[in-house]
Amino acid sequence: MSETMLKISKLNVNYGAIHAVRDVSLEINKGEIVTLIGANGAGKSSVIRSIMGLTKSHAEEMTYKGVSILGKPAEAHVKLGISLSPEGRRILPQLTVEENLALGAYIRDDEKGIAEDLEYVYTLFPRLKERHKQKGSTLSGGEQQMLAVGRALMSRPELLMLDEPSLGLAPILVDEVFAIIREINAQGRTILLVEQNAFAALKAAHRAYVLEVGAVSLSGTGAELLNNPKVQAAYLGG
Amino acid sequence: MNLNIFIQHFINALSLGSLYGLVAVGYTMVYGILRLINFAHGDIFMLGAYFVYFATIVYKLNWFVGVIIAIILTTICGLLVDRIAYKPLREAPRISALISAIGVSFFIENFAVVVFTGMPRPVVQPPILMKPIEFENGVRLIPLGILVPVVAFVLVGALLWLLYRTKPGLAMRAISFDIETTRMMGVSVNKIIALAFGLGSALAAVAGIMWALRYPRVEPFMGMTPGIKAFIAAVFGGIGSVPGAMIGGLILGFVEIMSVAFFPTLSGYKDAFAFLLLILILLFRPTGLLGEKLEDKI
Amino acid sequence: MRNVRNLLLTIIAVILFAFFLDKAPLLLNGYWQRILNLIAINAILALSLNLIYGITGMFSLGHAGFMAIGAYVSALLVLSPAQKNSMWILEDIYPFLLNVNAPFIVSIILGGLVAAFFGLLVALPVLRLGGDYLGIATLGFAEIIRILITNAARLTNGPLGLKGIPAYTTLFMSWGCLGVVLLCTVCMLRSNFGGVLRAVRDDEVAAKMMGINTFKIKVIAFTLGCFGGGLGGALMGNLITTIDPRMFMITQTYNILMIIVVGGLGSVTGSIIGSVLVTTMLEWLRFVENPITIWSINIPGIPGMRMVIFSLLLIIVIIFRREGIMGMREFSWNIFFPKPKKKAGKSERERSEKVLELENITLKFGGLSAIESLSFEIKRGEIVGLIGPNGAGKTSAFNVISGFYKPTSGTIKFLGKPIGGLSPDEVCKAGMSRTFQNIRLFGHQTVLQNVMIGSRVRQNYSWWMTLAPFIFTDVLREDGEVKAQALELLGQLGLEEFADEQASSLPYGAQRRLEIARALATKPEFLLLDEPAAGMNPQESEELMNFIRRLRDEFDLTILLIEHDMKVVMNVCDYIHVLDQGVHIAQGTPGEIKANPRVIEAYLGKGAA
Repeated sequence: MSETMLKISKLNVNYGAIHAVRDVSLEINKGEIVTLIGANGAGKSSVIRSIMGLTKSHAEEMTYKGVSILGKPAEAHVKLGISLSPEGRRILPQLTVEENLALGAYIRDDEKGIAEDLEYVYTLFPRLKERHKQKGSTLSGGEQQMLAVGRALMSRPELLMLDEPSLGLAPILVDEVFAIIREINAQGRTILLVEQNAFAALKAAHRAYVLEVGAVSLSGTGAELLNNPKVQAAYLGG
Repeated sequence: MNLNIFIQHFINALSLGSLYGLVAVGYTMVYGILRLINFAHGDIFMLGAYFVYFATIVYKLNWFVGVIIAIILTTICGLLVDRIAYKPLREAPRISALISAIGVSFFIENFAVVVFTGMPRPVVQPPILMKPIEFENGVRLIPLGILVPVVAFVLVGALLWLLYRTKPGLAMRAISFDIETTRMMGVSVNKIIALAFGLGSALAAVAGIMWALRYPRVEPFMGMTPGIKAFIAAVFGGIGSVPGAMIGGLILGFVEIMSVAFFPTLSGYKDAFAFLLLILILLFRPTGLLGEKLEDKI
Repeated sequence: MRNVRNLLLTIIAVILFAFFLDKAPLLLNGYWQRILNLIAINAILALSLNLIYGITGMFSLGHAGFMAIGAYVSALLVLSPAQKNSMWILEDIYPFLLNVNAPFIVSIILGGLVAAFFGLLVALPVLRLGGDYLGIATLGFAEIIRILITNAARLTNGPLGLKGIPAYTTLFMSWGCLGVVLLCTVCMLRSNFGGVLRAVRDDEVAAKMMGINTFKIKVIAFTLGCFGGGLGGALMGNLITTIDPRMFMITQTYNILMIIVVGGLGSVTGSIIGSVLVTTMLEWLRFVENPITIWSINIPGIPGMRMVIFSLLLIIVIIFRREGIMGMREFSWNIFFPKPKKKAGKSERERSEKVLELENITLKFGGLSAIESLSFEIKRGEIVGLIGPNGAGKTSAFNVISGFYKPTSGTIKFLGKPIGGLSPDEVCKAGMSRTFQNIRLFGHQTVLQNVMIGSRVRQNYSWWMTLAPFIFTDVLREDGEVKAQALELLGQLGLEEFADEQASSLPYGAQRRLEIARALATKPEFLLLDEPAAGMNPQESEELMNFIRRLRDEFDLTILLIEHDMKVVMNVCDYIHVLDQGVHIAQGTPGEIKANPRVIEAYLGKGAA
């Protein structure tokens, strides 16, 4: 077993009277792709937002490389090496592609390293290079997704969290996004992937957790779950 | 109307408009980020004027030094206002911060009455700024009239450079679109908000100083009307847009000066034009000239 | 019983207060009488601004302008021709104005009416703006009024103002006016129409879905508020006896705003308390501006200090107790008595087989299609599900059907009639109602009020009758009926125990049911439920399924629902339509849908099937 990167136990999230996440525990090891799948409204985004410190939550334990990150603000997480490509891409529409990427590198001062990473993002997503002077709002959905992932990479994170990277993309683009996720992982980054597109996510992931109405109902390796009929039931009802 | 008089009016409008613009920039930055009408901004402008008055006329400091000190003190005041009266209310409904802003505005105005007395004080204009320059074709210009728009344009240009060419500027633009995403990028939002208040206050200080030179006097309520008009300019130009604020300020300046120049009988109504213009633009283009449309969600 | 007791207590209190006012000239010196007068006038102004802002939620900064109108109208009517002749020195007064005269009472009412008329003129264009923009536009309007008054010297004597206005505002006059205003306001706010006003503030979108023409409601509230502003201004002029344009600067509006914020936005009681506190405080604080002598040490007065302290207090209140003294609560005699325990129809309609028909509905935002040529029908009595992954266009479809969005192309028929161009309130009147994905209750009102607002669309009385329900008893009768029906409805949905609780304080599941109850109060034939199971635990969803079936049977409804909880969808729906990225990819019975490879692919990803 390799080194544990992120460890969460008994995470709970409440929105007013709604108990959106119940006692979720999970672990991510260095170098893994872990995916969190489940139907809409299962609480996947709430989990990832709690990890990032964007949503108020309670947990017994939430540590990143052994350091507690419970209750820390989002900006502190970035400095520790966690970054998030949020649901809905949330690129800044009035900023150019280049500026969006520069914002991703906000916490860094090593101009040389930033330039290297910019080049790296541009090799991953050549489309972004072609459009580097365009405003975010003029990009297509797929390009916006690439920008969101690229921007999250610019802080040179060790743990990259991707929330619904395939949402709203044409099938051909979905394949492309997952290929890139594997490539990023192959270069040594740990990835937590939240996905509704269970099939693609399970194929890409080493391990997976299935969320159902806010609680973990299944977990296992990607391959195991891929053939588990209960996964389909979690989405389409038993 | 001969050329000379027209040019006088033109320069007048340009300098009045650029003063409105300078103040409007502060409104627009804060509104763009916090969606808060910082009613105290006009009073920050007044403080700038008073500080320079005390520094140069009471304490007889060199003008250059006095201006720098005034800008620094005003900026500190702007930051304090944010820290004390607005920051505790970041999560509160917007109206709370707005009421707080009104309270701060009252406070500063009346505090100024207490400390500086309500009497208007005359400002001695440096002779070098007042000595008319004569051109061959008979046009006479006062250096102050040229200095004001030049300073304003240089400062707004510098602000634009900061906004579009530096990292804090990038963060500031990003925050005005999406605070949460900006935090996700590792930006300390409160520092950037403080920066916006600081920059806005510094510009207001400069505007206040130049205003005091133009109408050579200072008084505690001098910030009220220019403050409201500058806010109108910001709305007119499209709230949240810095170039928009400057353009809005210039348009307002020109409307005010030129309407009186061409229709002297309506001079009493000149303030009404600003408000009429405001209501018209709100009705026909609520986002202002350069503003972005925000969508409602159901 | 309770009501009779409370009425008696109120009458006793009013008589005692009237007695006090009668003796006041003997008990109090002129200074305190003046303060008492100011309290009443400020209370009228605060109530009227609170109606606009606190109750109906329109941010207006124009009150000073309406006060000015009222003050000038009244003053011009009560000044004698001789006074006018001697006062207009800049320009001559308009001849017709010279001899116009009216009794004081008529003059203040006219002052209010003229202010209301201007308010209406302003409201029609400006109320389309929302939020801060409305505030700025009204502020602009007030400034324009002031500038016009300064310049129209033949009408208003310009910057010199009017002097020597007879001091007609006596204690009985000011407090009498306050009494009438208070009575009308309280009656209106207690009627179902008052609930509608607050509903517009709490959630305009949901209010529209209750069949309420929110724009009209806002115009009414704004105009009424302006009447109050004019009336208050008129009384003020006749108290101070001098008016000039500088009296009506934005500062004046801020003062009133402070009163209602300190008292509590949306609380009538708060406005009264706020007026008492702020008025006396402002007067009392004058001591800091007057020289005082303590043990033969002279402390000179500090001009401006009064407002410094006052504004500091305001900032402290807003930072540490931002809901004000009363919040949205109101005074009631009941607080002095222990709380008593308490206990707890279908209409005929014509039959039509097809309830809803969509034909080639397309909806585009910018260039992107949210829905692409969607067609389907729903038959009477069916429970139909609309499902699909995130971003499939389900909620967009709901918004098109319920009138919030206009489709880019295609036709929608409801009960056989096209409803494509109708607004949500009209769609509601046609017999359709809906709930929202994120529950949209009128959170600051009670459960019972929420349901009653849903019935407002079926009431016949006009809003102005609520100002005097003791004359227009229809108000009381209809409100009584609606209340009885609402209680019955709450009983049927198992919510009667919560009737007097604040809607936002309910447990989550009960809030969902309340939203449905409110929708049912509009007596719909067709109900749209947007994710009714969202946020429910498995056991709650189980109960929800039975509840939805019961709804259909007991209320004779046809139901269309969006839901992500597939267990709910598969168990409760007769028929299901599936959307994916705006395209209608499948339809059928639950069994067919579960087995449909396109559906599986849409949900689980390509290759999963």
